[in-house]
Amino acid sequence: MASAIPTFTKIGKVIRLNKHGCTNRPFYHIVVQKVKRKCYISHMKISITLKKKYYTRDNFDGPVIEQVGSYDAMPNSQHEKLVAVNFERVQYWLAQGAGMSNPVAQLLGLSGFLPNHPQTLIQSWKNRREPPRERKLQPIKGIAPPLDNPKI
Amino acid sequence: MFARSSSRIFNVINISCIQSRSARAWVRKPLGSPMAKSKMFRIAPKKFIPADEKAEVKRLYDNYFHQMKSLRHYFFEQSLEQAESGEVAQMKHRLEEEEHIRLMEENRLENEKTAKLREEKLKIQAEKTRENILASLINKEEETRQYEIQIEAFLEKQKATPFIQAENIEKAIEEALANPVDFNFAIDLDGYVYRGRETAIEKIPEEERERLRSN
Repeated sequence: MASAIPTFTKIGKVIRLNKHGCTNRPFYHIVVQKVKRKCYISHMKISITLKKKYYTRDNFDGPVIEQVGSYDAMPNSQHEKLVAVNFERVQYWLAQGAGMSNPVAQLLGLSGFLPNHPQTLIQSWKNRREPPRERKLQPIKGIAPPLDNPKI
Repeated sequence: MFARSSSRIFNVINISCIQSRSARAWVRKPLGSPMAKSKMFRIAPKKFIPADEKAEVKRLYDNYFHQMKSLRHYFFEQSLEQAESGEVAQMKHRLEEEEHIRLMEENRLENEKTAKLREEKLKIQAEKTRENILASLINKEEETRQYEIQIEAFLEKQKATPFIQAENIEKAIEEALANPVDFNFAIDLDGYVYRGRETAIEKIPEEERERLRSN
């Protein structure tokens, strides 16, 4: 395939979310990890119907090289989902040729470090189209106004 | 009941040798089993995405991948620039310089040592070669002298032999004509000479028989 810019060779590393926390309380570490299986490299074009064949836990892949941030999936009392990212290290690993998982790419896009991921835009217009789903858990009421669409 | 096929859970292929009482994780339906009644006439719903939405999605993804590619290259180039000008790089550079200077100094000292040794060796060798050359020159002189002496002797010998020059020709011819040499003679085992082609032993008397005796 002809292109003016040469393509990156895959080094076996990926920036992704590793799930920690406990039951009903997910907490993700944004982590640079070695890949043993074929997994997420979101800058390469993959078919959207690609599904995982076996039940995989992220920790069973290679060892974690470096933690580069965190993502708290549960909104706090101010209705914020806190994300911490070490942009310098992320830039270093991207320069080395590490891949990124979809969620991480989306988070970095929302933060402004990278361009917005198409998934954010697609999800936003889907949320505008469909009515919100009924949920068991009540949203936390606090200083910030509660979210209208719990899908976000 | 379906036979329990060997399952692959967490990359362990045959888990049956390990006894465990917890629930077995479901990996897949056994290969030989028939389709369930509830699933027999099921048609999986296929999501319909309109063409314009598909086009929009494709456009978004194309743009995104293009941007990501260029960003990655930009990051890469930044990292290269940093590698040359950053603090770590400068420290490395300084350390390398020091190391280099130290090694060059070491090398210089080594070279001096070996140079001294080499000079001594060369002196001894030079002496030897000079002596050799002198000896060979002397030998050469000796040989040439000997050769000249030999040549002199040879020339003397040759000059001593009576050569016939242009002046002596007529004299020599007259001499040769006056004294013909007759080779027609036979020699006996005892040394008696019989001249002429037709002489027999009985014809010559005893006094004139012996001629050549000196061997």
